[in-house]
Amino acid sequence: MRIRPRFFIGVSLIAAAIGYLIYSSIRTTSEYYLTVPEVAARQAELGGQAIRVAGRVKPGNIAWDPNSLTLKFEIAPIPDIDANGAPVKPVSALAADPASFRVIAAGEPKPDMFAPGRDVIVEGKLTADGTIAATQVMTSCPSKYRPKQAQ
Amino acid sequence: MPQLGNLALAIALILAVYSIVANIYGARRNLPDFVVSARHALWAMCAMVTIAVVVLWSALLRSDFSLEYVAAYSSTTLPTVYKITSLWGGQQGSLLFWTWLLSIFTSIAAFQNRRRNPDIAPYALAVLAGVAIFFLLMLNFVTRPFELLATVPAEGSDLNPLLQNYWMAIHPPSLYTGYVSATVPFAFGAAALITGKLDDGWIRSTRRWAIFSWFFLTLGNMFGARWAYEVLGWGGYWAWDPVENAAFMPWLVMTAYLHSVMIQERKDMLKVWNLALIGLAFGLTLFGTFITRSGVISSVHSFTQSGLGPYFLSFLIVVTLAYTSLLIFRSKELRSPAEFESYLSREAAFLFNNLMLVGIAFAVFWGTIFPVLSEAVRGVKITVGPPFFNRVNGPLALGLVFLMGIGPLIAWRRTTASNLVRSFAAPVAIGVATGIVAAAAGLRQWYVLTAFSLAAFVLGTVIVEFRRGMNARRHMVSEPRAKALVNLVAKNNRRYGGYIIHIGTIVAFVGIVGSSFFRTEVKKSVHAGESFTIGSYTLRFQGLDESDTPHLESATALVEVLRPDGREITTMSPAKLFYKRPQQPATKVAIRSTPFSDLYVVLAGIDDSGQTATFEVFLTPLVFWLWAGGLMMVLGTVVVMWPNVRERAAIATALSRSSTDARELADATPGGN
Repeated sequence: MRIRPRFFIGVSLIAAAIGYLIYSSIRTTSEYYLTVPEVAARQAELGGQAIRVAGRVKPGNIAWDPNSLTLKFEIAPIPDIDANGAPVKPVSALAADPASFRVIAAGEPKPDMFAPGRDVIVEGKLTADGTIAATQVMTSCPSKYRPKQAQ
Repeated sequence: MPQLGNLALAIALILAVYSIVANIYGARRNLPDFVVSARHALWAMCAMVTIAVVVLWSALLRSDFSLEYVAAYSSTTLPTVYKITSLWGGQQGSLLFWTWLLSIFTSIAAFQNRRRNPDIAPYALAVLAGVAIFFLLMLNFVTRPFELLATVPAEGSDLNPLLQNYWMAIHPPSLYTGYVSATVPFAFGAAALITGKLDDGWIRSTRRWAIFSWFFLTLGNMFGARWAYEVLGWGGYWAWDPVENAAFMPWLVMTAYLHSVMIQERKDMLKVWNLALIGLAFGLTLFGTFITRSGVISSVHSFTQSGLGPYFLSFLIVVTLAYTSLLIFRSKELRSPAEFESYLSREAAFLFNNLMLVGIAFAVFWGTIFPVLSEAVRGVKITVGPPFFNRVNGPLALGLVFLMGIGPLIAWRRTTASNLVRSFAAPVAIGVATGIVAAAAGLRQWYVLTAFSLAAFVLGTVIVEFRRGMNARRHMVSEPRAKALVNLVAKNNRRYGGYIIHIGTIVAFVGIVGSSFFRTEVKKSVHAGESFTIGSYTLRFQGLDESDTPHLESATALVEVLRPDGREITTMSPAKLFYKRPQQPATKVAIRSTPFSDLYVVLAGIDDSGQTATFEVFLTPLVFWLWAGGLMMVLGTVVVMWPNVRERAAIATALSRSSTDARELADATPGGN
């Protein structure tokens, strides 16, 4: 297949346009995807940045107010070895002290599967006082789940 | 019984290996007996895999919990239909199901080519057997469906409640059928490369397979979107999740392929491109399975992490390297004497349509693997969500729609200015008028205005095409309009079926644009008797209706929907469910759909007293048209695939004369433009 030079120009222009579109969109829409220990380690540089944090809902300290649709809880690191297969590999180098962060999600209904001990992905921003102001809380709901043997 | 399943899978593996050897040996040494026995081996392989499937199905239906798979994905109380669907509810079963489809399609391809394509068919069947070997190796050694449990539990742990709905019966099989049937054209493309028979024989022989695959990929994606919309309760139908992307990318590439093969058939151009596209489509089906099975990319509905990832990745790499080497090896022979002559030609429009489709596929691919790439390069995982995909694909979709209007009306090779004016004056006028009307109606977003204008433009071009065809018919044979229209489509089903698919795509596109830009959402906690509004609707919460069965507990909210004048339209009943085994809550969405907009009510929560309920309500305009457009795409594809009676008859007559004539006739493209 030969393509005449002027066709080559047309094809390259379109390819370049698509490439640029991808490049610029990545820049403006990307967000850090971090584990709880990684957030702890990078706390200083994350202020105001859109982040997604994968962690586990810490039992206790969970408050749900259905009138204002506000969910407050604490998110803790997912243990390294997880029998169920946690979706996120923690970066071992950053597995510092098991820190946890307070999450405040306002204006969103509580997800069905939300419960203490569940793995969640929290989308939002880290505020100055170290709280995560969440715009979304997603529970990892495996579409093909593996039931626990002890049942 | 489980031993029977294991035995059948082992024999199937041996048969597949034998089939490769016999096919290649027979074809190289010109020993037809070996090729025949290789074909029989493939049929026997299909029979063996079928036995394995029957064994697993019977174990599921008999609730034989001595099998680990049955204990993990079924239970005695599971309704029969879900026991059947449990075959693809878990990993081992879905791989077995995949292998089963592959062996069936391979057998059909072997049957179809028992006299046709003696040069390339043995190699194509060898490639199909090679793919089957990979899956059979997995089933025999890595993820065995007939693994027994040491202690037999009294009860199974049931199929995930999220999978217990009728979509489970139709969505995965459609998608798998689409995925797996793409292997057939791929195998014939690979065979063309291996043998050096690089004319378009492989394309013609597998055209129906490619359309068949595209048909089921379309269905699979549509069903998946509809499933998400009806069941998941977030008001949308597409979240650009890796699992969805994995199904979307092969569809895009197959769409590109179906268009670009027309250029090869007509103009003998783009040979390398077509071979590359079909290779890419097949590679993406493997890639999809890899990302969903490996846990490399986290998805909101992440699958169980399993050891399958490395195997799929290795197989993907081997296939990619082998196929690319073949392409490079044959690159000189693949040069086409023909050239693109003008930007204003149908082949140019098709070329750019291909660029757009592959560009979208690439953007989706890039966005999907970006977290992995960024972690490898920068040491930190960076994700891109729906905003990325929408920003990139929005403009590309507009370009694609524009080309969809241009392509069918523009002439091959080159077009004159007067020709352009004659063809496009009316459609352009329709498009511009639509834009003006939309702007006058108060729409201001540039994207929406452009999208609606372009959509109207494309519909205009299709109408012009249908009119032209009808007038031509009525000129030759005097027929009433309706009859002319029916005959036009019936006699040129490939072409006009294609236009029906285009109309469906445009209708779906309008639905997507409308639902993406104009969706409104209200979240509200209310006491019984209170009401709230969304759009022009008033919703009054009447109260909760609770029930408790051994299977599940449920709370149903009764919501009266009122018009502004206070007239009641309907009562909707969204519910919250709580499955008892495994203990898991779920949401039942209530949807009231009209062509104008969908009212989508989710009972997001209830407080302990049972007096207050939290609702999440979405008003989504035009989403109806997404599903309507999908239905039209499906109908159009049926028209395209419909066996052309005259074509059949001609082939049959020729068959009785000589097989060579028949092959030529079968290869000819009646109804093509």
